[in-house]
Amino acid sequence: MKVRVDTDLCVGHGRCYVLADDVFEADDRGHCLIPNEDVPPDLEEKARVGEQNCPEHAISIEE
Amino acid sequence: MSEMEPVSETPEMPTGQFDLDPAKPQAIYDMLREHSPILRTELGGTMIARHEDVEFALRHAEVFSSDMDAISIGNVRPLIPLQINPPDHVKYRRLLDPLFAPKQVALLENDVRKLSNQLIDDFIDRGECEFNSAFAIPLPCTVFLRLLGLPLEDLDLFLGFKDNIIRPETKDQTEYQRIQAETGQEIYAYFDKVLDERERQPRDDMLTGFLEADVDGNRLTREDILDICYLFLLAGLDTVTASVGCMVSYLAQHPDQRQRLVDDPSQIPGAVEELLRWETPVPGVPRVATEDVELCGERIEAGERITVLLGSANIDERGFPQPDDVDFERPANRHLAFGGGVHRCLGSHLARLELRVALEQLHERIPDYSIKPGEEPKYTMGIRAVDYLPLAFTPPS
Repeated sequence: MKVRVDTDLCVGHGRCYVLADDVFEADDRGHCLIPNEDVPPDLEEKARVGEQNCPEHAISIEE
Repeated sequence: MSEMEPVSETPEMPTGQFDLDPAKPQAIYDMLREHSPILRTELGGTMIARHEDVEFALRHAEVFSSDMDAISIGNVRPLIPLQINPPDHVKYRRLLDPLFAPKQVALLENDVRKLSNQLIDDFIDRGECEFNSAFAIPLPCTVFLRLLGLPLEDLDLFLGFKDNIIRPETKDQTEYQRIQAETGQEIYAYFDKVLDERERQPRDDMLTGFLEADVDGNRLTREDILDICYLFLLAGLDTVTASVGCMVSYLAQHPDQRQRLVDDPSQIPGAVEELLRWETPVPGVPRVATEDVELCGERIEAGERITVLLGSANIDERGFPQPDDVDFERPANRHLAFGGGVHRCLGSHLARLELRVALEQLHERIPDYSIKPGEEPKYTMGIRAVDYLPLAFTPPS
Protein backbone atom coordinates (compact mmCIF):
# COMPACT_ATOMS: atom_id res chain seq x y z
CA MET A 1 0.00 0.00 0.00
CA LYS A 2 1.06 3.55 -0.76
CA VAL A 3 -0.38 6.63 0.97
CA ARG A 4 -0.02 10.19 -0.33
CA VAL A 5 -1.15 13.66 0.65
CA ASP A 6 -2.05 16.40 -1.82
CA THR A 7 -0.41 19.40 -0.17
CA ASP A 8 -2.51 21.77 -2.26
CA LEU A 9 -5.65 20.36 -0.64
CA CYS A 10 -4.39 19.91 2.93
CA VAL A 11 -5.35 22.88 5.13
CA GLY A 12 -4.32 21.47 8.50
CA HIS A 13 -7.46 19.91 10.01
CA GLY A 14 -4.96 17.54 11.63
CA ARG A 15 -7.26 14.56 11.81
CA CYS A 16 -4.78 12.19 10.12
CA TYR A 17 -1.84 12.59 12.47
CA VAL A 18 -4.04 12.76 15.55
CA LEU A 19 -5.79 9.48 14.68
CA ALA A 20 -2.82 7.69 13.07
CA ASP A 21 0.48 9.16 14.22
CA ASP A 22 2.42 6.09 13.06
CA VAL A 23 1.71 7.01 9.46
CA PHE A 24 1.15 10.77 9.41
CA GLU A 25 3.08 13.65 10.97
CA ALA A 26 2.58 17.39 11.27
CA ASP A 27 4.73 20.21 9.95
CA ASP A 28 5.11 23.51 11.85
CA ARG A 29 1.83 24.82 10.50
CA GLY A 30 0.00 21.64 11.48
CA HIS A 31 -0.27 20.41 7.89
CA CYS A 32 0.16 16.74 7.05
CA LEU A 33 3.55 15.18 6.32
CA ILE A 34 4.00 11.56 5.30
CA PRO A 35 7.57 10.48 6.10
CA ASN A 36 7.16 7.11 4.42
CA GLU A 37 4.66 6.67 1.60
CA ASP A 38 5.13 2.90 1.60
CA VAL A 39 2.86 1.57 4.30
CA PRO A 40 3.93 -1.64 6.05
CA PRO A 41 1.10 -4.20 6.36
CA ASP A 42 0.62 -3.67 10.10
CA LEU A 43 -0.09 0.05 9.54
CA GLU A 44 -2.47 -0.28 6.59
CA GLU A 45 -5.54 0.02 8.78
CA LYS A 46 -4.12 3.19 10.38
CA ALA A 47 -3.46 4.71 6.96
CA ARG A 48 -7.08 4.02 5.99
CA VAL A 49 -8.33 5.73 9.17
CA GLY A 50 -6.35 8.84 8.25
CA GLU A 51 -7.65 8.80 4.70
CA GLN A 52 -11.28 8.33 5.77
CA ASN A 53 -11.22 11.18 8.25
CA CYS A 54 -9.67 13.90 6.09
CA PRO A 55 -12.37 16.56 5.53
CA GLU A 56 -10.54 17.82 2.44
CA HIS A 57 -10.11 14.41 0.75
CA ALA A 58 -6.42 15.32 0.57
CA ILE A 59 -5.14 11.83 1.36
CA SER A 60 -5.18 9.03 -1.19
CA ILE A 61 -4.36 5.37 -0.90
CA GLU A 62 -3.09 3.06 -3.60
CA GLU A 63 -3.33 -0.65 -2.90
CA MET B 1 -22.03 34.28 12.77
CA SER B 2 -24.83 33.70 10.36
CA GLU B 3 -28.48 34.12 11.05
CA MET B 4 -31.08 31.52 10.23
CA GLU B 5 -34.09 32.86 8.46
CA PRO B 6 -37.54 31.36 8.91
CA VAL B 7 -38.10 29.07 5.97
CA SER B 8 -41.80 28.37 6.30
CA GLU B 9 -42.88 30.99 3.74
CA THR B 10 -41.32 29.33 0.73
CA PRO B 11 -43.84 27.75 -1.64
CA GLU B 12 -41.98 24.43 -1.98
CA MET B 13 -42.02 23.91 1.73
CA PRO B 14 -44.88 21.89 3.21
CA THR B 15 -46.16 24.06 6.03
CA GLY B 16 -47.19 22.97 9.47
CA GLN B 17 -44.95 19.90 9.51
CA PHE B 18 -42.16 21.43 11.51
CA ASP B 19 -41.51 24.45 13.64
CA LEU B 20 -38.41 26.56 13.84
CA ASP B 21 -37.23 25.10 17.11
CA PRO B 22 -33.64 26.24 17.64
CA ALA B 23 -33.13 23.17 19.85
CA LYS B 24 -33.63 20.88 16.84
CA PRO B 25 -32.22 22.42 13.67
CA GLN B 26 -31.57 19.01 12.10
CA ALA B 27 -35.17 18.62 10.93
CA ILE B 28 -34.98 22.01 9.20
CA TYR B 29 -31.76 21.06 7.43
CA ASP B 30 -33.31 17.79 6.21
CA MET B 31 -36.26 19.73 4.83
CA LEU B 32 -34.00 22.25 3.11
CA ARG B 33 -31.87 19.61 1.40
CA GLU B 34 -34.96 17.76 0.27
CA HIS B 35 -37.04 20.68 -0.98
CA SER B 36 -34.86 23.80 -1.34
CA PRO B 37 -31.15 23.00 -1.49
CA ILE B 38 -30.61 26.59 -2.67
CA LEU B 39 -32.96 28.87 -0.77
CA ARG B 40 -33.07 32.63 -1.17
CA THR B 41 -34.04 34.43 2.04
CA GLU B 42 -34.17 38.07 3.01
CA LEU B 43 -32.09 38.01 6.16
CA GLY B 44 -29.66 35.16 5.61
CA GLY B 45 -29.06 35.64 1.90
CA THR B 46 -28.93 32.49 -0.18
CA MET B 47 -28.78 29.32 1.92
CA ILE B 48 -26.91 26.37 0.49
CA ALA B 49 -27.67 23.10 2.20
CA ARG B 50 -26.33 20.07 0.30
CA HIS B 51 -23.04 18.48 1.36
CA GLU B 52 -21.67 18.61 -2.17
CA ASP B 53 -22.44 22.31 -2.63
CA VAL B 54 -21.15 23.22 0.83
CA GLU B 55 -17.87 21.44 0.11
CA PHE B 56 -17.62 23.17 -3.25
CA ALA B 57 -18.18 26.62 -1.76
CA LEU B 58 -15.65 26.06 1.03
CA ARG B 59 -12.99 24.82 -1.37
CA HIS B 60 -13.41 27.74 -3.78
CA ALA B 61 -12.66 30.69 -1.53
CA GLU B 62 -11.83 32.85 -4.54
CA VAL B 63 -15.42 32.50 -5.83
CA PHE B 64 -17.20 32.19 -2.47
CA SER B 65 -15.38 34.93 -0.62
CA SER B 66 -15.55 35.68 3.11
CA ASP B 67 -14.35 39.27 2.64
CA MET B 68 -16.10 42.39 3.97
CA ASP B 69 -18.85 42.16 1.37
CA ALA B 70 -19.90 38.85 2.93
CA ILE B 71 -20.31 40.17 6.46
CA SER B 72 -19.59 43.29 8.43
CA ILE B 73 -19.54 43.11 12.21
CA GLY B 74 -18.51 46.54 13.38
CA ASN B 75 -15.07 46.34 11.79
CA VAL B 76 -13.77 49.08 9.50
CA ARG B 77 -11.04 46.99 7.81
CA PRO B 78 -10.96 43.33 6.77
CA LEU B 79 -10.51 40.92 9.66
CA ILE B 80 -7.25 38.98 9.39
CA PRO B 81 -7.03 36.29 8.12
CA LEU B 82 -10.73 35.51 7.47
CA GLN B 83 -11.54 38.50 5.26
CA ILE B 84 -8.33 38.41 3.25
CA ASN B 85 -8.76 36.61 -0.06
CA PRO B 86 -6.18 34.29 -1.56
CA PRO B 87 -3.36 34.72 -2.50
CA ASP B 88 -2.51 37.28 0.28
CA HIS B 89 -4.36 35.18 2.82
CA VAL B 90 -1.66 32.54 3.09
CA LYS B 91 1.04 34.89 4.33
CA TYR B 92 -1.00 35.54 7.46
CA ARG B 93 -1.83 31.85 7.92
CA ARG B 94 1.88 31.01 7.72
CA LEU B 95 2.40 33.27 10.71
CA LEU B 96 -0.69 32.25 12.69
CA ASP B 97 -1.03 28.51 11.97
CA PRO B 98 2.07 27.49 13.99
CA LEU B 99 0.72 29.38 17.05
CA PHE B 100 -2.45 27.26 16.96
CA ALA B 101 -1.06 23.95 15.71
CA PRO B 102 -1.86 20.87 17.83
CA LYS B 103 1.70 20.65 19.16
CA GLN B 104 1.55 24.25 20.37
CA VAL B 105 -1.92 24.15 21.93
CA ALA B 106 -1.02 20.90 23.73
CA LEU B 107 1.16 23.05 26.00
CA LEU B 108 -2.05 24.57 27.38
CA GLU B 109 -3.60 21.26 28.41
CA ASN B 110 -2.62 21.35 32.09
CA ASP B 111 -3.82 24.93 32.39
CA VAL B 112 -7.16 24.15 30.75
CA ARG B 113 -7.62 21.14 33.04
CA LYS B 114 -6.83 23.14 36.15
CA LEU B 115 -9.21 25.88 35.10
CA SER B 116 -11.98 23.35 34.32
CA ASN B 117 -11.56 21.87 37.80
CA GLN B 118 -11.65 25.28 39.47
CA LEU B 119 -14.90 26.11 37.69
CA ILE B 120 -16.39 22.76 38.77
CA ASP B 121 -15.18 23.35 42.37
CA ASP B 122 -17.32 26.49 42.48
CA PHE B 123 -20.62 24.64 41.94
CA ILE B 124 -20.08 20.96 42.71
CA ASP B 125 -21.27 21.07 46.35
CA ARG B 126 -24.61 22.55 45.31
CA GLY B 127 -25.62 19.54 43.21
CA GLU B 128 -26.87 21.86 40.49
CA CYS B 129 -25.70 24.70 38.26
CA GLU B 130 -26.67 26.86 35.33
CA PHE B 131 -24.00 25.44 33.10
CA ASN B 132 -23.68 28.27 30.60
CA SER B 133 -22.74 30.94 33.14
CA ALA B 134 -20.92 28.54 35.51
CA PHE B 135 -18.70 26.83 32.94
CA ALA B 136 -19.36 27.30 29.24
CA ILE B 137 -18.76 31.07 29.25
CA PRO B 138 -15.81 31.41 31.67
CA LEU B 139 -13.74 28.48 30.36
CA PRO B 140 -12.94 29.66 26.81
CA CYS B 141 -12.91 33.33 27.76
CA THR B 142 -10.33 32.79 30.50
CA VAL B 143 -8.20 30.60 28.22
CA PHE B 144 -8.33 33.36 25.59
CA LEU B 145 -7.25 36.12 28.00
CA ARG B 146 -4.35 34.02 29.25
CA LEU B 147 -3.27 33.10 25.75
CA LEU B 148 -3.11 36.71 24.64
CA GLY B 149 -1.56 37.81 27.94
CA LEU B 150 -4.44 40.05 29.00
CA PRO B 151 -5.55 40.69 32.60
CA LEU B 152 -8.31 38.39 33.89
CA GLU B 153 -10.09 41.42 35.38
CA ASP B 154 -10.99 42.36 31.83
CA LEU B 155 -13.22 39.28 31.43
CA ASP B 156 -16.51 41.18 31.80
CA LEU B 157 -15.33 43.87 29.42
CA PHE B 158 -14.60 41.20 26.80
CA LEU B 159 -17.92 39.46 27.31
CA GLY B 160 -19.62 42.83 26.73
CA PHE B 161 -17.59 43.40 23.54
CA LYS B 162 -18.47 40.06 22.01
CA ASP B 163 -22.15 40.13 22.99
CA ASN B 164 -22.58 43.63 21.56
CA ILE B 165 -21.07 42.51 18.26
CA ILE B 166 -22.61 39.05 17.95
CA ARG B 167 -26.05 39.70 19.41
CA PRO B 168 -26.75 43.41 19.99
CA GLU B 169 -29.81 43.79 22.18
CA THR B 170 -32.16 45.46 19.73
CA LYS B 171 -34.51 44.48 16.94
CA ASP B 172 -34.00 47.76 15.09
CA GLN B 173 -31.59 47.27 12.19
CA THR B 174 -30.07 50.78 12.32
CA GLU B 175 -29.57 50.56 16.07
CA TYR B 176 -28.11 47.05 15.63
CA GLN B 177 -25.43 48.39 13.30
CA ARG B 178 -24.80 51.43 15.49
CA ILE B 179 -24.10 49.22 18.52
CA GLN B 180 -21.78 47.03 16.45
CA ALA B 181 -19.88 49.99 15.01
CA GLU B 182 -19.51 51.69 18.38
CA THR B 183 -18.34 48.48 20.05
CA GLY B 184 -15.96 47.91 17.15
CA GLN B 185 -14.26 51.22 17.91
CA GLU B 186 -13.98 50.25 21.59
CA ILE B 187 -12.33 46.96 20.60
CA TYR B 188 -9.78 48.71 18.36
CA ALA B 189 -9.05 51.24 21.13
CA TYR B 190 -8.65 48.56 23.79
CA PHE B 191 -6.09 46.56 21.82
CA ASP B 192 -4.33 49.72 20.60
CA LYS B 193 -3.68 50.72 24.20
CA VAL B 194 -2.42 47.26 25.20
CA LEU B 195 -0.12 47.18 22.15
CA ASP B 196 1.34 50.57 23.19
CA GLU B 197 2.11 49.01 26.58
CA ARG B 198 3.72 45.93 25.01
CA GLU B 199 5.87 48.15 22.81
CA ARG B 200 7.18 49.95 25.88
CA GLN B 201 7.46 46.78 27.94
CA PRO B 202 7.65 43.59 25.88
CA ARG B 203 6.39 40.43 27.57
CA ASP B 204 6.43 36.75 26.82
CA ASP B 205 2.93 36.72 25.30
CA MET B 206 1.18 36.47 21.96
CA LEU B 207 0.62 40.22 21.54
CA THR B 208 4.33 40.95 22.00
CA GLY B 209 4.95 38.12 19.52
CA PHE B 210 2.80 39.91 16.93
CA LEU B 211 4.78 43.15 17.41
CA GLU B 212 7.99 41.27 16.71
CA ALA B 213 6.63 38.95 13.99
CA ASP B 214 8.18 38.70 10.57
CA VAL B 215 5.89 38.29 7.56
CA ASP B 216 7.77 37.89 4.29
CA GLY B 217 10.57 40.08 5.61
CA ASN B 218 8.21 42.76 6.92
CA ARG B 219 6.78 43.56 10.35
CA LEU B 220 3.02 43.43 10.82
CA THR B 221 1.57 46.93 10.86
CA ARG B 222 -0.34 48.13 13.92
CA GLU B 223 -3.54 47.87 11.88
CA ASP B 224 -2.71 44.28 10.89
CA ILE B 225 -2.35 43.32 14.55
CA LEU B 226 -5.60 45.07 15.49
CA ASP B 227 -7.40 43.24 12.68
CA ILE B 228 -6.08 39.89 13.93
CA CYS B 229 -7.06 40.63 17.55
CA TYR B 230 -10.55 41.74 16.53
CA LEU B 231 -11.17 38.44 14.79
CA PHE B 232 -9.72 36.40 17.67
CA LEU B 233 -12.08 38.10 20.10
CA LEU B 234 -15.12 37.37 17.96
CA ALA B 235 -14.16 33.90 16.80
CA GLY B 236 -12.55 32.47 19.92
CA LEU B 237 -15.00 33.14 22.72
CA ASP B 238 -18.55 32.48 21.61
CA THR B 239 -17.86 29.42 19.52
CA VAL B 240 -16.31 27.29 22.23
CA THR B 241 -18.94 28.46 24.74
CA ALA B 242 -21.60 27.34 22.27
CA SER B 243 -19.86 24.03 21.53
CA VAL B 244 -19.36 22.91 25.12
CA GLY B 245 -22.95 23.96 25.89
CA CYS B 246 -24.37 21.99 22.93
CA MET B 247 -22.37 18.90 23.87
CA VAL B 248 -23.24 18.87 27.57
CA SER B 249 -26.89 19.60 26.78
CA TYR B 250 -27.01 16.69 24.32
CA LEU B 251 -25.33 14.33 26.80
CA ALA B 252 -27.58 15.46 29.66
CA GLN B 253 -30.57 14.50 27.51
CA HIS B 254 -29.06 11.18 26.35
CA PRO B 255 -28.07 9.33 29.54
CA ASP B 256 -26.91 6.20 27.67
CA GLN B 257 -24.42 8.25 25.68
CA ARG B 258 -23.32 10.14 28.79
CA GLN B 259 -22.77 6.84 30.62
CA ARG B 260 -20.67 5.58 27.72
CA LEU B 261 -18.20 8.42 28.35
CA VAL B 262 -18.24 7.87 32.10
CA ASP B 263 -17.50 4.15 31.66
CA ASP B 264 -14.89 4.66 28.95
CA PRO B 265 -13.27 8.11 28.82
CA SER B 266 -11.16 6.99 25.85
CA GLN B 267 -14.31 7.56 23.78
CA ILE B 268 -14.31 11.28 24.58
CA PRO B 269 -12.19 12.42 21.60
CA GLY B 270 -14.53 10.52 19.25
CA ALA B 271 -17.52 11.99 21.05
CA VAL B 272 -16.14 15.51 20.56
CA GLU B 273 -15.88 14.92 16.79
CA GLU B 274 -19.28 13.28 16.49
CA LEU B 275 -21.04 15.95 18.54
CA LEU B 276 -19.31 18.66 16.53
CA ARG B 277 -20.84 16.97 13.48
CA TRP B 278 -24.31 16.43 14.94
CA GLU B 279 -24.65 19.75 16.76
CA THR B 280 -22.54 21.95 14.44
CA PRO B 281 -22.46 24.89 16.87
CA VAL B 282 -21.55 27.30 14.06
CA PRO B 283 -24.40 26.25 11.75
CA GLY B 284 -23.51 28.46 8.82
CA VAL B 285 -20.76 30.73 7.54
CA PRO B 286 -21.31 33.85 5.42
CA ARG B 287 -19.83 34.20 1.95
CA VAL B 288 -20.34 36.42 -1.09
CA ALA B 289 -20.10 35.30 -4.72
CA THR B 290 -17.33 37.16 -6.56
CA GLU B 291 -18.54 36.01 -9.97
CA ASP B 292 -21.56 34.30 -11.57
CA VAL B 293 -21.44 30.63 -10.74
CA GLU B 294 -23.74 27.63 -11.07
CA LEU B 295 -24.51 25.54 -8.05
CA CYS B 296 -26.91 22.62 -7.89
CA GLY B 297 -28.28 23.59 -11.30
CA GLU B 298 -29.04 27.14 -10.18
CA ARG B 299 -27.32 30.34 -11.12
CA ILE B 300 -25.73 32.30 -8.30
CA GLU B 301 -24.98 35.88 -9.32
CA ALA B 302 -21.87 37.91 -8.58
CA GLY B 303 -22.47 39.92 -5.42
CA GLU B 304 -25.02 37.47 -4.01
CA ARG B 305 -24.66 36.90 -0.27
CA ILE B 306 -24.61 33.30 0.76
CA THR B 307 -24.91 31.32 3.97
CA VAL B 308 -23.01 28.05 3.67
CA LEU B 309 -24.91 25.67 5.95
CA LEU B 310 -22.22 23.56 7.61
CA GLY B 311 -24.84 22.06 9.92
CA SER B 312 -26.86 20.74 7.02
CA ALA B 313 -23.84 19.33 5.17
CA ASN B 314 -22.83 17.52 8.36
CA ILE B 315 -26.05 15.48 8.44
CA ASP B 316 -26.36 14.87 4.70
CA GLU B 317 -26.50 11.13 3.97
CA ARG B 318 -24.43 11.77 0.86
CA GLY B 319 -21.53 12.66 3.14
CA PHE B 320 -22.31 10.50 6.17
CA PRO B 321 -23.96 7.09 6.18
CA GLN B 322 -26.75 6.88 8.79
CA PRO B 323 -26.37 10.59 9.52
CA ASP B 324 -28.97 10.56 12.32
CA ASP B 325 -27.05 7.99 14.37
CA VAL B 326 -24.85 9.77 16.86
CA ASP B 327 -21.99 7.27 16.93
CA PHE B 328 -18.91 8.16 18.97
CA GLU B 329 -16.99 5.46 17.09
CA ARG B 330 -18.03 6.56 13.60
CA PRO B 331 -15.19 5.21 11.47
CA ALA B 332 -15.17 7.94 8.80
CA ASN B 333 -16.01 11.39 10.06
CA ARG B 334 -15.15 14.12 7.58
CA HIS B 335 -17.34 16.68 9.31
CA LEU B 336 -17.13 20.34 8.36
CA ALA B 337 -17.91 21.87 11.75
CA PHE B 338 -14.72 23.94 11.49
CA GLY B 339 -15.42 24.85 7.89
CA GLY B 340 -12.96 23.78 5.23
CA GLY B 341 -10.68 25.00 2.49
CA VAL B 342 -8.18 27.77 3.16
CA HIS B 343 -10.32 29.42 5.84
CA ARG B 344 -10.49 26.29 8.01
CA CYS B 345 -11.01 27.52 11.58
CA LEU B 346 -7.64 28.70 12.86
CA GLY B 347 -8.58 27.85 16.44
CA SER B 348 -9.93 24.36 15.73
CA HIS B 349 -7.15 22.56 17.60
CA LEU B 350 -7.48 24.81 20.63
CA ALA B 351 -11.25 24.30 20.57
CA ARG B 352 -10.80 20.51 20.41
CA LEU B 353 -8.42 20.61 23.36
CA GLU B 354 -10.82 22.68 25.47
CA LEU B 355 -13.80 20.48 24.57
CA ARG B 356 -11.99 17.21 25.28
CA VAL B 357 -10.56 18.35 28.62
CA ALA B 358 -13.90 19.87 29.67
CA LEU B 359 -15.75 16.61 28.95
CA GLU B 360 -13.05 14.56 30.71
CA GLN B 361 -13.27 16.59 33.92
CA LEU B 362 -17.06 16.87 33.91
CA HIS B 363 -17.58 13.12 33.46
CA GLU B 364 -15.03 12.33 36.11
CA ARG B 365 -16.42 14.71 38.71
CA ILE B 366 -20.19 14.98 38.09
CA PRO B 367 -20.87 11.74 36.19
CA ASP B 368 -24.65 11.56 36.74
CA TYR B 369 -25.64 15.05 35.52
CA SER B 370 -28.98 15.56 33.83
CA ILE B 371 -31.30 18.42 32.96
CA LYS B 372 -32.77 19.78 36.20
CA PRO B 373 -36.28 18.29 36.60
CA GLY B 374 -39.05 20.60 35.42
CA GLU B 375 -36.68 22.78 33.41
CA GLU B 376 -35.41 22.74 29.85
CA PRO B 377 -32.39 24.10 28.01
CA LYS B 378 -32.78 27.17 25.80
CA TYR B 379 -30.92 27.42 22.50
CA THR B 380 -30.14 30.57 20.53
CA MET B 381 -30.50 31.13 16.80
CA GLY B 382 -27.44 32.05 14.78
CA ILE B 383 -24.48 30.60 16.65
CA ARG B 384 -26.05 27.63 18.39
CA ALA B 385 -25.40 28.43 22.05
CA VAL B 386 -27.34 26.96 24.97
CA ASP B 387 -27.73 30.18 26.89
CA TYR B 388 -29.76 28.54 29.65
CA LEU B 389 -28.68 25.05 30.67
CA PRO B 390 -29.91 24.00 34.13
CA LEU B 391 -28.14 20.83 35.31
CA ALA B 392 -28.68 18.64 38.39
CA PHE B 393 -26.28 15.98 39.67
CA THR B 394 -25.32 14.16 42.86
CA PRO B 395 -22.94 16.32 44.91
CA PRO B 396 -19.90 14.60 46.46
CA SER B 397 -20.67 13.22 49.93
